[in-house]
Amino acid sequence: MNLFRSEDHARRWPQFRPESDEGFISLHDLVGFFGTESRQHMLDADYLSRWYPRRADERRSYLTQIGKSSPFWLGTPAPSR
Amino acid sequence: MRPVFGAMTPNAASNPDVIDRVWTRITRTLIDTGRPPHYAELAHWLGVSPSESRTILHAVMDAYPIGWLHPETDYIASFPPLNGLPTQYRVTVRGEQKWFAQCGFEATSVTWLFPGERVRVDVACLDCGDPLTLEMLDGRVTWVDPPTVVGHLNYGFGPSRGRPPFL
Repeated sequence: MNLFRSEDHARRWPQFRPESDEGFISLHDLVGFFGTESRQHMLDADYLSRWYPRRADERRSYLTQIGKSSPFWLGTPAPSR
Repeated sequence: MRPVFGAMTPNAASNPDVIDRVWTRITRTLIDTGRPPHYAELAHWLGVSPSESRTILHAVMDAYPIGWLHPETDYIASFPPLNGLPTQYRVTVRGEQKWFAQCGFEATSVTWLFPGERVRVDVACLDCGDPLTLEMLDGRVTWVDPPTVVGHLNYGFGPSRGRPPFL
């Protein structure tokens, strides 16, 4: 879960995994992904009990909205081959 | 310092209110000082023994599994979006660089801990070591250099993600 100067830089990174070719996300989408409603309540006294549990659904919904609905992004089991 | 809870019940570690307050205390300590507290420091604040505080800390980490203790220790290594251990994601607020983000993705979330403040993230690119900079204010990107900056997920989320300390 890193930031790179560009996609080319990420691909040149010696630890780049070829399987992660679908792992790119634009800065705009990333800011939205990590700025969903629950994130905006991290300073609330009840964040952990009230807001944190909403995070997973928010993430799935946002990722689907931006077209990242593969098992790689959603953390769901990959289809059997 | 006067304990915040008075006399603790024996099962404080299972009390959601206690867990909430300790989560908030850890986050606030990170915001204020740039480092996470040790459970022995939390003990004084909670008004419990260090041993009880350690149990409560572990309950908090169980409830917040996106953070973690350093392996084989009780030290808070990561408490996202901020990190106790230094990372390449250096965070500057009000001209002071004393925070680290957990990872590049969480770096874009640090802005929500500093409302009304410009949050700058300076990163050394893992490929070339050259700098990249991101500045945000209340969830909006106000500056990025170079403009080609991208996020990259090397392991998928879920079971394929790998061991958390090695994101």
